[in-house]
Amino acid sequence: MSIETFYEVMRRQGISRRSFMKFCSLTAASLGLGPAFAPRIAHAMETKPRTPVIWLHGLECTCCSESFIRSAHPLAKDVVLSMLSLDYDDTLMAAAGFQAEAIIEDIKKKYKGNYILAVEGNPPLNEDGMFCIHGGRPFVEILRETAADAKAIISWGACASWGCVQAAKPNPTRATPVHKVITDKPIIKVPGCPPIAEVMTGVVTYMLTFDRIPELDRQGRPKMFYGQRIHDKCYRRPHFDGGQFVEHWDDEGARRGYCLYKMGCKGPTTYNACSTTRWNGGVSFPIQSGHGCIGCSEEGFWDKGGFYNRVTDIKAFGVESNADRLGGGVAAVAGAAVAAHAAVSALSRARSNNDKNPGGN
Amino acid sequence: MAYETQGFKIDNSGKRVVVDPVCRIEGHMRVEVNLDSHNVITNAVSTGTMWRGLEVILKGRDPRDAWAFTERICGVCTGTHALTSVRAVEDALGIQIPENANTIRNIMQLNLQVHDHLVHFYHLHALDWVDVVSALAADPKKTSTLAQSISDWPMSSPGYFRDVQNRLKKFVESGQLGPFTNGYWGNPAYKLPPEANLMAVTHYLEALDFQKEIVKVHTIFGGKNPHPNWLVGGVPCAINLDQVGAVGAINMERLNLVKSIIDRTQEFVEKVYLPDIIAIGGFYKDWLYGGGLSGKSFMSYGDVPQKANDYTAPNLLLPRGVVINGDLGRIHEIDLRDPEQVQEFVTHSWYKYPDEARGLHPWDGVTEPDFALGANTKGTRTRIEQLDEGAKYSWIKSPRWRGNAVEVGPLSRMVLGYLQPKQYPEIRDMVERALHQLDAPVGALFSTLGRTAARAIEALYAANLQQTQFDKLIANLKAGDSSTANIDKWEPSTWPSEAKGVGFTEAPRGALGHWIRIKDTRIDNYQCVVPTTWNGSPRDPKGQIGAFEASLMNTPVAKADQPLEILRTIHSFDPCLACSTHVMSPDGQELTQVKVR
Amino acid sequence: MAVQVEVSGAAQTAAGRTVFVYEAPVRLWHWINALAISVLAVTGYLIASPLPSQPGEASDNFLMGYIRFAHFAAAYVFAIGFVARAYWALVGNHHARELFVPRLADREWWAGMRQELLWYAFIARQPRKYQGHNPLANLMMFLMVTLGSVFMIVTGFALYGEGGQAGHWANVLFTTWVLPLFGQSQDVHTWHHLGAWMMVVFVIVHVYAAIREDIMSRQTMIGAIINGERTFRS
Repeated sequence: MSIETFYEVMRRQGISRRSFMKFCSLTAASLGLGPAFAPRIAHAMETKPRTPVIWLHGLECTCCSESFIRSAHPLAKDVVLSMLSLDYDDTLMAAAGFQAEAIIEDIKKKYKGNYILAVEGNPPLNEDGMFCIHGGRPFVEILRETAADAKAIISWGACASWGCVQAAKPNPTRATPVHKVITDKPIIKVPGCPPIAEVMTGVVTYMLTFDRIPELDRQGRPKMFYGQRIHDKCYRRPHFDGGQFVEHWDDEGARRGYCLYKMGCKGPTTYNACSTTRWNGGVSFPIQSGHGCIGCSEEGFWDKGGFYNRVTDIKAFGVESNADRLGGGVAAVAGAAVAAHAAVSALSRARSNNDKNPGGN
Repeated sequence: MAYETQGFKIDNSGKRVVVDPVCRIEGHMRVEVNLDSHNVITNAVSTGTMWRGLEVILKGRDPRDAWAFTERICGVCTGTHALTSVRAVEDALGIQIPENANTIRNIMQLNLQVHDHLVHFYHLHALDWVDVVSALAADPKKTSTLAQSISDWPMSSPGYFRDVQNRLKKFVESGQLGPFTNGYWGNPAYKLPPEANLMAVTHYLEALDFQKEIVKVHTIFGGKNPHPNWLVGGVPCAINLDQVGAVGAINMERLNLVKSIIDRTQEFVEKVYLPDIIAIGGFYKDWLYGGGLSGKSFMSYGDVPQKANDYTAPNLLLPRGVVINGDLGRIHEIDLRDPEQVQEFVTHSWYKYPDEARGLHPWDGVTEPDFALGANTKGTRTRIEQLDEGAKYSWIKSPRWRGNAVEVGPLSRMVLGYLQPKQYPEIRDMVERALHQLDAPVGALFSTLGRTAARAIEALYAANLQQTQFDKLIANLKAGDSSTANIDKWEPSTWPSEAKGVGFTEAPRGALGHWIRIKDTRIDNYQCVVPTTWNGSPRDPKGQIGAFEASLMNTPVAKADQPLEILRTIHSFDPCLACSTHVMSPDGQELTQVKVR
Repeated sequence: MAVQVEVSGAAQTAAGRTVFVYEAPVRLWHWINALAISVLAVTGYLIASPLPSQPGEASDNFLMGYIRFAHFAAAYVFAIGFVARAYWALVGNHHARELFVPRLADREWWAGMRQELLWYAFIARQPRKYQGHNPLANLMMFLMVTLGSVFMIVTGFALYGEGGQAGHWANVLFTTWVLPLFGQSQDVHTWHHLGAWMMVVFVIVHVYAAIREDIMSRQTMIGAIINGERTFRS
């Protein structure tokens, strides 16, 4: 007995041989393979070593790692010890020094094209990339080198997926999301600041279990977790439809759990699983705890105006305003211009009438 | 270069060892040291190797949004920047928060302290003390005896430890060691017997399971963790105990959940974390290096205001004050508004000031990046082999209190509490009990081990405070006050055209301050001085070294190619990550690879 | 078919003459469209800035639901009307085509544009007379009504498809590509909202210009969109 395989992991977690075989035939079916393939899949699962994962950190805040270890099902412990082989992760690994760098080289060689690269944070490109230094070198170089032999890349969180807070205007370091630096590898974006723990482990275990990349939407996010808006499954939705809103913090509506739409909730524009999967083992999620969603899994959510405005600011052409102020302003100007023009028209018409009819006959 | 500062003799003539990156709170950090012929550190250079520009990004934004931006400075001490930010804005605008909001914030902040300390010790720091591979050689029966002798924690049977050991064995035998690959296993600086190692590894896994329970308090009040939600003027979660719609707010069920988590947290800290520290510390109490500035100059802003809106020292349940030059008899008061007290220098930081000989108070702070390497740098601009500490060498600024470099963090707080037994009798008791159990003198506190022990003591103190703050919340609710937010100044139209404020907290890693200037309802200037800026600061114009650099001074390193001692001491500050490091020999050549034994 | 060049002084626009311009489907569409835009503007505003909170049980209320229903219903009318109008541009008379194909390559058309601008700037004393739209009106109609409607329909159905979710026709046809194009849902909301204000501005100018021209260019404007006939006065 050397390597703990999938089958063993599943057995240890109380899954019977019978269920395991059923799982394998289902997998075969869902992969579009005939029933003859089920035993092959079973064989692979019984003997396959754990997939190596290299987890790199760029400009980030480590909230993704912190979220990952909050996973309740599966436990982070089981993911790390039994499901994958987290061979390199700045946050958790024991190794240090050259010995740590050697791991990357080792994995690249031994598992060429077969390891998963997980990226937390993003590379800054200004100052030759030296706003994030890793081993005396720009982080972006490490990222490129490690990505070169990876099978697939997981972009953890808003940083790797979209850029997040350091990429908010004016993005002084030119922090750049992973897919704009690495363009020749399949990238799975798992956005959120951070993503929900069980979504993170869900994506990883899906890939390991079914040996394929989950179906992605046009923006590269797994449809299974990012296919619907928070609004679509929000338990406060009846209050939205009924026109019952929190008007001020801690008002009667807030105490009754009314809709936070007027407090700037971005649930109607945010694709994430918060309102169903919820957070930290299903305890709550932002709206349930009385604060609107700030839209942290959406691209550029930092630059969409205030978190407490429903109609948010537009920053274009050097003016900062929201659609109502801008549009309303233009409409008012148009109205005033029309009135003025009408007045002048009336005057000039009166004059031309006078010209035509001198003496006023 | 050789000179004396703060009682340390700096000499950079010996062999240079580079460790990069040693990660700090948000990510990356680099350390370079010089070793003399006996492998003793004679010069230490700590470098923050990342900059994200949050202060630049915050300009022109709505002050009510600032908490969300600053919260993302760190996902490990998640929430503490947000709390500091809402306090700064409230200070600027003169907003008074309700009692319940203050208490709920306190509970969340204390919750973070406990969680952060626990995760830091077990998952980021323990492997500096605990040899995982040695645990395979342990006798589970003896491990059980050891565990039961130090605590009545129920999960301590021989069978339990055997199961863990078997799992570990299987894991190691798989050949895929995952996060334990290439550790410094077998290094002579590891001193625990196999049984203690097995106990610690077991608790590593237990703590990994349990930590996710602790943060549920954040989830209840703030909706999620990491990065819960906060609110200028109070807390976003409304309380509704017994009226229609109570299920949509903080109600009895939610309060019960909070209470049960607080109880379990307290028990875990009391029965697992603290006993482990005492047990492990017992084997290391002769290794008392790493004191650095801790016995000399240290500071705490204080936190956990008992009454709402009063941030003066007598109202704070975590102590406030600063001690300078080892004069433990004199605790100076701190005024964060005084332009002469807190100042930041950039002589050795990759930033530009109009006049770099002078420090700037954060209200007048400037954050303008300027990446340039000194003449004595080895390597190139994008392939640095060795830094020149005579020039600019870090993305961290150098904050000073009245010109003094100080250490911040749990050790500073616990020592300041210890020095004021009248106001903080519990801290005095806890520290004395721990010292007694370790059979160590007070002076032993000023060391790497002391820093690690102080963190565990503080975890228990914070867990207990969480309990009393919860009781206070209930008492206030009983008295009929259920308000959680003050919206009098929510609308920007009620604000003055110009305002400035300061907010502070004690983050798990130490004193944290945010200074804000508001002009025409927008942020005009925002400066954060974070704990790792204090501890990890590069040198100032006078050549004074910061706490990280000081703590490494005079430490002997058993094996230069396995600088376990450097990591152990740097990690004792809780710079967050048990990091990937890159060690190079003095001429920039990589040292030989060390195989796992 | 030959494009009829219409300039003032041509026989068709002689004083006292009446020409048939707007066929019934065009007129019908105009008034339905006007109604739809009114409903859309008001309900749209109320979706972005809802009415004060309603008391009582959530299950007793459906105010936002009704407002949104009215918005969506009017949007379908608006969109189907637009498609029908586009169809009529193919089969109707040449006036029906003006909205969709401004004669940008026609120098005479641009000369007319100049004249109209001078007229509106009170420099020219007489406007030219046209059977259909004058070039300035034509251009504005094309930009605001034709392109504006397309913009509002595309962004609107993209947002509608968000609620409809994956598989819904609007989601398939619009949401999947419009959201990434704009960045994210919030951006689409913002631009759709801005587009609504643009429509309001158009309505203000359109109503004013129609009344003004009716009075000052000596040709019926309002009557024409009611009975389809334009009468030229001296």
